[in-house]
Amino acid sequence: MLSDIWVVTKREFRSYFLSPIAYVVGAIFLFYGAYEFFQFIFLEAGRGAEARMNMYFNQLPLYFLVLVPALSMRLWSEERKLGTLELLLTFPVKTGALILGKFCGALLFLAVLLGLTLLYPITLAALGNLDWGPVVGGYVGALLLGASYLALGMFISSLSRDQIIALIVTVVALMLMVRLPALAAYFMPKSWIEPLMVLSPVTHFTSIARGVIDFADIVFYAAFVALFLFLNSIVLEYRKWVG
Amino acid sequence: MISVQNLSKMYGTFPALRGVSFEVPSGQVLGFLGPNGAGKSTTMKILTGYLYATGGTAKVDGVDVSEHPVEVRRRVGYLPETNPLYTDMRVDDYLSFVGEIRGVKGSQRKAAMERVIASCGLQKVVKKGISELSKGFRQRVGLAQAMIHDPQILILDEPTSGLDPNQIVEIRDLIRSLGANRTVILSTHYLQEVEATCDRIIIVARGELVADGTHRELCERLPKGAVHVELVGPGDTIAAKLSEAFPGARVEKLPVDAGQAVRFKVERNAVPENEASSDMRGRIADLAQQNGWKVLELRQGGASLEDVFRHLTYEKSATVAQGAA
Repeated sequence: MLSDIWVVTKREFRSYFLSPIAYVVGAIFLFYGAYEFFQFIFLEAGRGAEARMNMYFNQLPLYFLVLVPALSMRLWSEERKLGTLELLLTFPVKTGALILGKFCGALLFLAVLLGLTLLYPITLAALGNLDWGPVVGGYVGALLLGASYLALGMFISSLSRDQIIALIVTVVALMLMVRLPALAAYFMPKSWIEPLMVLSPVTHFTSIARGVIDFADIVFYAAFVALFLFLNSIVLEYRKWVG
Repeated sequence: MISVQNLSKMYGTFPALRGVSFEVPSGQVLGFLGPNGAGKSTTMKILTGYLYATGGTAKVDGVDVSEHPVEVRRRVGYLPETNPLYTDMRVDDYLSFVGEIRGVKGSQRKAAMERVIASCGLQKVVKKGISELSKGFRQRVGLAQAMIHDPQILILDEPTSGLDPNQIVEIRDLIRSLGANRTVILSTHYLQEVEATCDRIIIVARGELVADGTHRELCERLPKGAVHVELVGPGDTIAAKLSEAFPGARVEKLPVDAGQAVRFKVERNAVPENEASSDMRGRIADLAQQNGWKVLELRQGGASLEDVFRHLTYEKSATVAQGAA
């Protein structure tokens, strides 16, 4: 099972390097992030503030809103379009191994992109006194947030053979999820908002990014990812019945 | 060994398969024929566990596909109707990936890749991207993929569709050599293909099995084909006499190139019990002699697989509204 997952992960990860979309989106993510980051640094530094990353991490849920769907849209849609889904599903491996393998491959690519942004804290540390605690928290949180977005995006990709539709639906779904507490505030009593906030991956991200890695937050992300990977397997199984 | 019992599949309310049963002993090359939407692909998709059957059982080497799909897939090499290629990969990377996920490890994988590259004639394109390949080469890569784990059972869904005549012959030769020591199920639209490669033929139409046998057996199920005669004589009289001699037969006047000759095609739908099907020629010759017609040509066409196919599937496919692929 583990080796099956690993084979799929490797292929999936490599395929991002063959895909122009991944390059373009990755480049935009890195360059725009760098632009925002350094602009902020120079403004803040001018006011004598201490070196911090939290401004960048605050923006990350928004960056991911576009970046992650662009990475997840192809995961199943492309397989269906190419006809390779029939190849995958007739390999002597469990469907779960395919799903986990694909998920890990995409997450690995996202991790590589995040890894490249380590340039920012390294620059910061060189310039001033950097508190690494919140930075580590920020990166852990970013990976978990990215994983949750990916799981949702991959599930949506399994619903359509059209990548663009998968992209749009995923962006909208994530937007609703991120903005839901704020939107709900318009028509719901305040006491209802609090529990609703708990359901948003962004809420948990902000608390981790502050540098406090709470076990409950990790459980939330694990449950969130597991739920959507499970729904993904249901979609694949359902198609075997329906044809 | 493949055993299919009473297999049925519904696509929504459309019955794609309605109770198909057949067995394929090991070592046999089985040709699977039928019009589009007859249920060929559906049967293959069920055999490989890509789809679940609505009813009935499909077993490979005695292992039920619905109970142990992974075990069955291990034994089967499968080329789906849409060739499942990752077009952004290189041929060798693609084959290596399929080999690895099929559990062909390390040095064995290298040997397996060399084996399929050689047998599918891929030496020249190994390092090329799949998107650069012609359709013929892509099809060979698809076949190579299906064979990488050296399966005893090959399921090939229209392996030659969309290829040019030269490529078809190449792939056909390849399949024939593969079939020498394997069990192969092969679906196709090209009737010559089954004549050339298959030990046995199954014809499906509208989700039902309508014929099962060797090429020869199937052809013998139809009365021998029409007799063509070309005579010199009075056309109307000849037509009348022929109709009289063969009650129930269709006598059709055909155009002739030049001269006074007349040409007829006499076709019987059934051969009377006390007659051999080839007796017609003799009786027409006698008739010509009695009436003083000069015989220029007297020829009997045998029933071809094409005749059998059309006879068994034509009416049926015409009534099927829209078959799912």
